Amino acid sequence: MGQSPSAALDRENSFSDRFGFFSSSFVSSDGFPDEFVGNRDYTAEIPDDCLAHVFQFLSPGDRNRCSLVCKRWLCVDGWSRHRFSLNAQSEIVASLPSLFTRFDSVTKLTLRCSRKSISLNDDALVMISTLCRNLERLKLRGCREISDKGMLAFAQNSKYLRKFSCGSCMFGARALNAVLDYCTNLEELSVKRLRGIHDGAEAIGPGAAASSLKTICLKELVNGQSFEPLVVGAKNLKALKIIHCLGDWDRVLELIGNRNRSQKENLYLNNYDSNGSNDHLMEIHLERLQVSDAGLSAISKCTKIQSLHILKSPECSNYGLVCVAEHCKLLKKLHVDGWRANRIGDEGLAAVAKHCPNLEELVLVGVNATYLSLEAIASNCSKLERLALCGSGTIGNAEIVCIAAKCMALKKLCIKGCPISDIAIEALGSGCPSLTKIKLRKCRGVSCEAGEWLREQRGSLVINMDTCEIDGGFEASVSNGGIHEAGMDYPQVVGQVTTGDASTSSNGGLALLRSKFGLFASRNLVACTFRRWTYGDDTSNSNL
Amino acid sequence: MASTLKKIILKSCDGKILEVEEAVAVQSQMIKNMIEDDCANEEIPLPDITGEILSMIIEYCKMHVDGENNSNNELIARDADFITRVDLNTLYYLIVAANFLNVKSLLDLTCQRVADIIKGKSPEEIRLTFNIKNDFTPEEEEEIRKKNAWAFDYKD
Repeated sequence: MGQSPSAALDRENSFSDRFGFFSSSFVSSDGFPDEFVGNRDYTAEIPDDCLAHVFQFLSPGDRNRCSLVCKRWLCVDGWSRHRFSLNAQSEIVASLPSLFTRFDSVTKLTLRCSRKSISLNDDALVMISTLCRNLERLKLRGCREISDKGMLAFAQNSKYLRKFSCGSCMFGARALNAVLDYCTNLEELSVKRLRGIHDGAEAIGPGAAASSLKTICLKELVNGQSFEPLVVGAKNLKALKIIHCLGDWDRVLELIGNRNRSQKENLYLNNYDSNGSNDHLMEIHLERLQVSDAGLSAISKCTKIQSLHILKSPECSNYGLVCVAEHCKLLKKLHVDGWRANRIGDEGLAAVAKHCPNLEELVLVGVNATYLSLEAIASNCSKLERLALCGSGTIGNAEIVCIAAKCMALKKLCIKGCPISDIAIEALGSGCPSLTKIKLRKCRGVSCEAGEWLREQRGSLVINMDTCEIDGGFEASVSNGGIHEAGMDYPQVVGQVTTGDASTSSNGGLALLRSKFGLFASRNLVACTFRRWTYGDDTSNSNL
Repeated sequence: MASTLKKIILKSCDGKILEVEEAVAVQSQMIKNMIEDDCANEEIPLPDITGEILSMIIEYCKMHVDGENNSNNELIARDADFITRVDLNTLYYLIVAANFLNVKSLLDLTCQRVADIIKGKSPEEIRLTFNIKNDFTPEEEEEIRKKNAWAFDYKD
C-alpha cells in the first residue's frame, strides 16, 4: 500500500478504464449539468490499489456482486483475488481458461465438489496447474474423479505449492508421494478421509519435502499407518495432528521420540549444531487414537513441545502426562479430554503444575480434577490466561474459589456442566483481577441473580451465561403473571418449543408433549417442566 | 524528548498551513521517510489534499498518538466514532489522502468502512450508492454472472 495514485495507472486496463471514465464524465457534465455535477463517481478517483484493499474486506459473494458493478471493478477484483473457492463439478472444465484469465493472481485455491455431483477429473486439474502457475495452496474436497495420475502431473507443475490439503478424495499413496516428491517447498500437509489408501499400499515417505514440512494433519484415515515414514522422516516438523485414525500409534510416537534422542546423540558426537535446533516439534494433537502412556512417554523426549492435546484417547493415563510434564517444561497449552475414562486426574495435573510454569492455556473436559491439583496449578502457573473446565463432577465451589483467589493473570474462564453454585460466582466477583471474559454453561447451581450480581460487580467483564437466557425469560413471565399478558407469553413458549424440536429431532414424542404443555398447561407448570427438561437434555449433551 | 516536540509544517493544496508535532506527523510513513531523509525541514506541500481533509487526518493521527496507552478496545471505539462521522464524499478524499500519506491504520479504517457499505448490496444498489455508471452490455453482465456462479460464497 501507500503508492501514489499515479502508480495505479501502471496497469494498462485500469488506465483505459479511467480514461474512459474521465472522457465520459466530461461529456455528461457538459450535456446534463444539473444531473451530474453533484453526483460524480468519486470511486473513480480512488486508486486501483485502494479499491483492491476495499475488496479484501469482502466475502467472495460480495466480491462477485462487486465484479458486476462496472468494468473497472471487474478488472480490479480479477487481479486482486488471491483466494478462490470453486465449485469443482465436471462441467466447470469449459469455463476454466476464462476463469483463470480473469483471476490471474490466484495463489490459494479450493476445489470442492458436493457428494451428489461428478467432480472435475485429471485433465481439468492438470489444466488448472498450467493456468495457475503460482499456486501456493490447494485444497481438494470431494474431488472423487481425480486419480494418482492427475495428481502426479499436477505436482510436477506446481513447484511453489506450500500447503496441500485433501479430503474425501479417491486417489492414494502414489498421489501423495508425487506431491511430496515434486513440491519441494511443501510446508503443510493435511489428509482427511482418503479412500485410495488400501491395505498394503505403498508407504508414504517425506520425499523431497522432508526438510520443508512443518505441519502434518491426518484425520479419519483407515490405513493411517502407511504415513509412518512420512511422519518420522519429516525432520523439521513443528506440528503433528492425528485425529481418529485407526491403528496403534504408539510406535510412530516412539520413532519420533527416538529420532530426537539419536539426533541429540549425534549432536554431541559431531558438535554439529550447538543450540540443538534439531528438536523442532512444538505442537502435538492426539485425538480419538489408540495411543497409550508408551507413546506419551516417547514424545516427552521432544522437549520443545509447547502445545499438547490429548483428547478422547482413553488409554492415556497420569503416568504419561507426568512424563510429558517432567520433560516438556516449555508447555504453554494443554488440552485434555478424559472421555470420562478417569485415567488422567490430579496426579498428572499436579506434575504439570510442578514442572510447567509457562502454562498459559488449560482445557479440561471430562477430567475429574479436584482442589488438590487445581490449587497447585493456580499457585504455580502464574501465566495462566485461559482456563476451561467442562463436564467434571469434581470441580465445585472449592476449586473455583481457589482459582479466583490465585489466578492473577487469568483473562478468560469457561465453566461448563460443573457442580458449582453461587458461592463460586461470589468468589469470582472479587478474584482474578485480569478477567475479561467468563462463560458459564449448564451450571445448574448458578442462579440468574448471581450472574446479575457479577455483572454489577465487574462492569467491564463480558459475561456469557445460559442460565439467565432460559430461566430469565420464564421467571419474568411467571412472577409478573398478569392475565392480560397471557396472549404475549404463549407465542414465546411455542417459539421455544420449535427450537426444542429442531435440536432433539430424535425424540419427537417428547417434543410433541412439550408443545401440548406449552399450549394448554398453566404457565407455572410450563416453566418448571421446561426447566427440568432442559436439564435432562443437558446431561445427555454435557459430555462434549 | 526534544525531537518529539519538533514541528513539521504541512501545506494543503488550498494553501492552508498546518503545524504538526513530529510524533503525530510520523504516523504518516511518507512523512516519516522524508524526516529520515532530512527533507522535512521546510514546509511540505501536499498537492492533492485540501486543508479540511488534512485537518481530519491530523485529528486522527493525534487520536492515535494520544491513545497509545489506552486499551485496544478503546481505540477501536474511537476509530468507529471517527469514521461514522464521515460522509461518503469525505470518505473518498480520506482514502486518497491516507493512501498518499501512507497512514496504514487510517487506510484500513476507511477501506473497511467502504466495504461495510458494500456488504450485502446488489450490483445495482452499489452503483446507486456510489454513482457508478454501468458500462456493461446486458450480454456481458450475463456472461460474468454465469462465471461467478462457479465461485463459492464462503470463506475457507
